[in-house]
Amino acid sequence: MSTQPGRSSDPEPTQVPGATGFVILSWLWVGLPLAWGVYQTILKSMALFH
Amino acid sequence: MLAFLDRAHSVAPRNYSRWLVPPAALAIHLCIGQVYAFSVFKIPLTKLIGITAPVKDQDWTQGQLAWIFSVAIFVLGASAALFGKWMEKNGPRKAMFVAACCFGGGFLVAALGVAIHNIWVVYLGYGVLGGIGLGIGYISPVSTLVKWFPDRPGMATGMAIMGFGGGAMIGSPLAVNLMHYFATPTSVGVVPTMITMGIVYFCFMLFGVFAVRVPPIGWMPDGYAPPLKSTGLVTTANVTADQAPKTRQFWLLWIILCVNVTAGIGILEQASPMIQEMFLTPRGLATIDPGNAAQVAVVAKNTALVAGGFVGLLSLFNMLGRFFWSSLSDFTGRKAIYFVYLLLGPVCYFLIPMAGRMGSVPFFVCLCLLILTMYGGGFATIPAYLRDLFGTAEVGAIHGRLITSWSVAGILGPQLVNGIREYQLAHHAAPVDVYAPTMYLMCGLLLIGAVCNFFVGPVDARHHVSETGYAPSGSATPAAKKS
Repeated sequence: MSTQPGRSSDPEPTQVPGATGFVILSWLWVGLPLAWGVYQTILKSMALFH
Repeated sequence: MLAFLDRAHSVAPRNYSRWLVPPAALAIHLCIGQVYAFSVFKIPLTKLIGITAPVKDQDWTQGQLAWIFSVAIFVLGASAALFGKWMEKNGPRKAMFVAACCFGGGFLVAALGVAIHNIWVVYLGYGVLGGIGLGIGYISPVSTLVKWFPDRPGMATGMAIMGFGGGAMIGSPLAVNLMHYFATPTSVGVVPTMITMGIVYFCFMLFGVFAVRVPPIGWMPDGYAPPLKSTGLVTTANVTADQAPKTRQFWLLWIILCVNVTAGIGILEQASPMIQEMFLTPRGLATIDPGNAAQVAVVAKNTALVAGGFVGLLSLFNMLGRFFWSSLSDFTGRKAIYFVYLLLGPVCYFLIPMAGRMGSVPFFVCLCLLILTMYGGGFATIPAYLRDLFGTAEVGAIHGRLITSWSVAGILGPQLVNGIREYQLAHHAAPVDVYAPTMYLMCGLLLIGAVCNFFVGPVDARHHVSETGYAPSGSATPAAKKS
């Protein structure tokens, strides 16, 4: 979802890359460390089920 | 040079996707959530001189080290309350940058304190400087998220605050692995670990600084029609951060958050000893000769390992609950979801001693996991509840003031639950009875919270800011209409 033309008195915004690829990369940037943390936690939790 | 950090320079361009804001928020919260993993440093910090074992009267004690976390949590609440209005005025980008400097810098100062073996420098570094980073970082994305996601504020803030729960899951193994890597026969490896983590966290948080944008004034998602008048608890008006504490609703939510945090601490603080003393240790000892020291040591090691896995699972469900319950609140309404936390929670706490008497580990584990999801949900849903009641204009600053209740609960909660446990142990109570009074107390506290939730109603119009009384900073929401 993108922004609509502003009814804003703010400075004229500049164009920056906002493509889907950048959104995916951003989610990977935070998602990969989180997935690693979750994986480590699940590994540690396995002791509970043995 | 740093003008790009200003709110005026943070306004989103036309092709900006609002789905970049949650990862920006997560970049901050995943880092600052490391505070819940600070305990991994405690044992190494007690052996800085002795290396293999603490040296009496020279190495730091567990008691001295416990204050580092307490100071950090206290400063978190205080700085969130103090700097909330500054954050609203200067925007999320500058706030995130300051948070990154303080949190990363806090690690570096703490590393200096460890290197020169001065505990006060560690308190100053991780506790005070890091605590300021925690407070500003915690509230920095909230206001922006609710403005980008007026259609799903619970989901948006749930995603960000989920990161705070997930931060410990990254911070703990990261610190352990780094200390293992840097340890030498003459060092436990804490100093290089803290320096590395400070730099890594600073760089990671910078992603949030560069990615976050505020929406232009009047922006709305495609296809979303904002309500024209207040309905139920959801207002279309705004209340300022200075005015909010003068309302009954603010203090009702303050109590609700305080009891929810205290109750969660009741489990988090005691989860490991509870599962060990109620289930694992008696079962383990029943299978061996209690007089055999070697066998007893093996049982102790195994039960500690299982208890560690249990605590890890609690962290995971704490994180998942933040997203799940907060997202669900967009459909049920905030008041209804808090009734779930505050009425289903006491049932779970009440059943925990019963699970102990039944000797059912699965039942006990399920109850604790459900409680932890609601503990996390309570944290994550509060910003959306505040937005419903007080509007979006200064919701970040109001949130900052509200989480002083977290500081209070974070300090009083452990004292309360540990005090009861010590008292029961001193009176030779059975393992289940050691924890039962704490669980019943938590039931009572949550029910008080439920009563407070019952009395939460719309904020009186006299607290709303008038059309001319609120000058939005930068690209905040338009001036509110008096309802």
